[in-house]
Amino acid sequence: MTPDKTDLKEHYWKSIKEYYKDPEVLQAKLNEFAKGVTDEFSVDKLNGLSRRRFIALLSASAALAATACSDYRDKGEIIPYTNRPEGVLPGKPDYYSSFVNDKSVLIKVREGRPINIVGNPDHPVYKGKLDAQTPATLLNLYDPERLKEPTKDKLKIDWAKADAEIIDALTKAAADGKEIALIGDRITSPSVMKLFADFKKKYSTARVYSYKQISDENKRIAWDQCFGTRNIPSVKLNNANVILAIESDFLGREGNTIEKTRMFAESRDIINNGKMSRLYAAEGSMSLTGMNADYRLRIRSDYHHNFILSLINELIGKGMTANADKELRDMVSSFPLDDFVKRHGLDALKISYLVKDLLNDPSGSIVLGGESLPVEVHTAINLLNNLLGNDNLFDYSSVELDHQPLSTDKELDEFIERSLSGEVGVIINFGVNPVYHLPSSLGIEKVFSEVNTTISIVESDNETSALSNYVLPSSHALESWGDNFTRSNIYELQQPVISPIFNTRQKEAVLLSWINGISEAYSDDAFKEYLMDVFEENVFITQNPAVDFKSYWYNSLHNGFAHIKSGRLQPGTFKFNPVRKTTNADDYDYVLHLTPNYFIGDGRYANNGWLQEMPHPVSKISWDNYAAVSPSSAKKLGVENDDLVKIKTASSFLEIPVFIQPGMADGQISIELGYGRTVIGDVGKNSGFNAAVLQESLSSVLIAGVTLEKSSGSYKLVSTQEHHSLDDDSVKDFHKMRHIIQEGTFKKYKEDPGFLHEEKHKLKGITREHKYEGLKWGMSIDLNKCISCGSCVSACNVENNIPVVGKDQVELGREMHWIRIDRYYSGTPDEPEVSNQPMLCQHCDNAPCENVCPVNATNHSPDGLNQMAYNRCVGTRYCANNCPYKVRRFNFYNFRDHFADAYYQNELSYLANNPEVTVRSRGVMEKCTFCVQRIMDAREEAIREGREIKGSDVVTACQSVCPGNAIVFGDINDPESEVSKYRTHELGYHVLEELYVKPNVTYIAKLRNTHAEEA
Amino acid sequence: MKKTVLDYTLKIRLPFLLFVVAVSFLLTFYISRSERDGVGYMPEQPIKYSHKLHAGDLAIDCQYCHVGVTKGRHALVPSVNICMNCHTVARKDKPEIVKLTQYYEEGKPLPWKRIHKIPEYAYFNHSVHVNVGIDCESCHGNLREMEVVEQIKPFTMTACLDCHRDPQKEIPYLEKVNKGPENCAACHR
Repeated sequence: MTPDKTDLKEHYWKSIKEYYKDPEVLQAKLNEFAKGVTDEFSVDKLNGLSRRRFIALLSASAALAATACSDYRDKGEIIPYTNRPEGVLPGKPDYYSSFVNDKSVLIKVREGRPINIVGNPDHPVYKGKLDAQTPATLLNLYDPERLKEPTKDKLKIDWAKADAEIIDALTKAAADGKEIALIGDRITSPSVMKLFADFKKKYSTARVYSYKQISDENKRIAWDQCFGTRNIPSVKLNNANVILAIESDFLGREGNTIEKTRMFAESRDIINNGKMSRLYAAEGSMSLTGMNADYRLRIRSDYHHNFILSLINELIGKGMTANADKELRDMVSSFPLDDFVKRHGLDALKISYLVKDLLNDPSGSIVLGGESLPVEVHTAINLLNNLLGNDNLFDYSSVELDHQPLSTDKELDEFIERSLSGEVGVIINFGVNPVYHLPSSLGIEKVFSEVNTTISIVESDNETSALSNYVLPSSHALESWGDNFTRSNIYELQQPVISPIFNTRQKEAVLLSWINGISEAYSDDAFKEYLMDVFEENVFITQNPAVDFKSYWYNSLHNGFAHIKSGRLQPGTFKFNPVRKTTNADDYDYVLHLTPNYFIGDGRYANNGWLQEMPHPVSKISWDNYAAVSPSSAKKLGVENDDLVKIKTASSFLEIPVFIQPGMADGQISIELGYGRTVIGDVGKNSGFNAAVLQESLSSVLIAGVTLEKSSGSYKLVSTQEHHSLDDDSVKDFHKMRHIIQEGTFKKYKEDPGFLHEEKHKLKGITREHKYEGLKWGMSIDLNKCISCGSCVSACNVENNIPVVGKDQVELGREMHWIRIDRYYSGTPDEPEVSNQPMLCQHCDNAPCENVCPVNATNHSPDGLNQMAYNRCVGTRYCANNCPYKVRRFNFYNFRDHFADAYYQNELSYLANNPEVTVRSRGVMEKCTFCVQRIMDAREEAIREGREIKGSDVVTACQSVCPGNAIVFGDINDPESEVSKYRTHELGYHVLEELYVKPNVTYIAKLRNTHAEEA
Repeated sequence: MKKTVLDYTLKIRLPFLLFVVAVSFLLTFYISRSERDGVGYMPEQPIKYSHKLHAGDLAIDCQYCHVGVTKGRHALVPSVNICMNCHTVARKDKPEIVKLTQYYEEGKPLPWKRIHKIPEYAYFNHSVHVNVGIDCESCHGNLREMEVVEQIKPFTMTACLDCHRDPQKEIPYLEKVNKGPENCAACHR
């Protein structure tokens, strides 16, 4: 298969079954609902608890009826503030800057309760954009299963008593010369650095361990070997013309994805600057970055070492000799590229393009290495970058800082050994979960029963806290103070926006009171003052601003960060570092690649329903992880989707369902970590499998030499990919060449900008056209900038009170997301090309849903919105039947009540709801509203200021977070507006425009930047 | 022809019954209408506050207390500290003020009875109405003469739409006023 023919695809497919024209799938495409969506609707099938709830409601309404016999209906009470805090106006949101999930954000607060997490537009790195995880972490604040009280051996205990006992234990351990182990996450905060140092000063035997399940540690070690510093410069991706990603998911889950996505999108912004970078992805697992690549090279993850050395060899051979000294030549001379290509059956044409591109523009090319790669490969990548001489693409004024190296495997091993031999007196689990994260073969579980005093300071119960004597509830990020210094030019600050909901304390403050050694001396402000001192010392004094400290502090707190004038942090000169020869990878049948999950991370967000339900960007599977294998490997093994397989390493094994992932390298198994938590709340229970059991040590994430065999039985994986698939076959009857998705190549576009509309038909309606005067709302989505990260879905969930439906309902196709990202494959299952298209209500002018509503619950507003009046809807679902885009969602249950028996139906979780949006109940239809609440807010603002509302006044939730700036929203009747520019652009198209429903969402066709010869 | 019981039932009894049912329905419907709409609702408040005294006789501006009315959705029932602006000195000895001071000093919530309410699926906004110049009186009646606040007008969708469709009739004092929006999303979302 050659990667050409990208213009007009013969056939798109969403799954293997569809590719082989499985009749079931083809039939499903014709139907509005997936099979089973409309079944299971008998009241008897509701569970017992719901029935009890029903009776309770019944008696409540009887009581209500009794009181209604008085003269007038009681309308309740209005309780004003006793003392209204200055600046707080009930009904008006306030925004506070802070950071959550290590991202600088603004927290939207209404009447003292955080209701949304949005980007911080002033931040120089994030520029107001967010990833999919961050907005959804709001739900963790309102998780009903958060720890509420400190406990000792599962019994409630006072904070003061717990503190006193722990201080005694610490003092005793220090006096006895026994180690106090403090286990935490990677340290990014200067104040925590100082806190740990102070802790060590007070308790002389204290040792700090920090770990991360998947980290960029290998990259930093390699950088250190080559440049003598662990601080890696950020990359100016927007200036790169050729990007080669080696197993690097830089758009999806590695490093600062928000910044990288923005820059990547900037380098492919055809509308505004007409240029386009070229992305090569060499990878074994199918990642989000690979999906977006112009050329994807399918190379098993353990071959990259040889691949890069061969590439270097080839480049030197073709005359790139400026930075090639003899040592390097000698080292790579035994790696001919041709051999490598032949041996692994790669596409020689693609490789030749890559070599040509690198030779043509070495200083505009960058090679990025993935976090799962070993140190040798990162060193080789450094060699390659040095050979290219692309120093200009590194930004030395904004360097990714490293405060302290993570604990090595050896250090962790030794710690466990020492604990088992009784040399450790106290273990403090500082907000992490080592029992779950560290490979079980290390025996960390036993450590917790051996050591006398074990303490966990965590937000909610986890595998580690279950084994700890003292479990101290720590505050959520939105209830905490903190600082973050991960980029050399920005010092970020975190402030609480709500006082702790439960009897929790932030973990840093707890440690501080142990350092003070007086349990009664705790105060909520103590850590804040500590933080201010660190800030004064580290930032105020060095930056020497022209204002006094207080104003500088408040100003930085208001902005969420302080600028640091660090200048250019030039690393040492490049030191040639010979790459060790690794074992010949071909000896192994299978290599196992472990990666973090895109949404639940390393398992820390496993109890967050919003994140669990996000469809995986590639496979569209939610609620579970799986072993992804290539179609050929699956065939060889004789397995189908959902079949259980057994993966064995030397010391352990795992049974896990298999998922046939098009685009995987043969002989590669890819599993995401973070699933299979055993001690967790109701949401994360029974979701997925813990692949960490296969690790020998924490750093082994690329495990060669595993065996894979078919096991008996199967496990149902649920995916959203075949739901809501568009009915392109019947449309083809009318306009054979029109597809749901339209794309071309960059070259074709340059030659013939209007190529997309050559065969366009003139459409004419039979009814009178309705005139829209004044403002009319419309959206455009640039598919060259959309990478399908899912940020929009997540932001929409939070903004619009989207319920969590649970795995069983996703299986029936009842997920409620108002915006989804459709993923289409084309080409062969082995080497597919992927196209993505976000799909949401198109707010059609001739909306088919409106004509069929028997109660006129959905109709059109004068400003072009397709409105949905929930209180009018009777739930016939005719509209959903008649919607060609399949974007309408029906509340088959009151999902808050239904999901895991009313998990989100509690006083606490309701606080996460946006009060400006109705919480829909059972029996009503819903869909994207173009964030009508934001439109109304803007209108109110305009009326207050006595002016007309403008299109640019409104930013929808999906638009505001989109890291690629792919979404534009505004007034399409204003020819000067941004959205009009997109709407009238020659690359703009409407999905299914032949239906003449006149949609108001314009898509900019995806262009692939492939080579001229092939078009 | 012989008169049967059936004839009697069909010709006299049934029409009579239907008549009685219809009349009683209509009577109940119209008599209870104001009650259903809440018109005339005048609950007893925890503190006997008089709008007549404050807004009428003392001519304090509405916005002195209802600070949110031009700024956002809620007009806002004043927070207790606004009352205390004056009442830390004024009429401290009156029993109602003693009660008020007690609420304030103890930080106890002051549960005013709610009089005007629209359903929670309708998103009313005070500021958009007040900022185009609509007087409080047009919806709430003349509070300057009310010793105890009562609901004067129905707060139904019909009442909203009457004014949105024909503002000249309902608010003639505004010389230049546009029609209000009538689309669903103007209030429901």
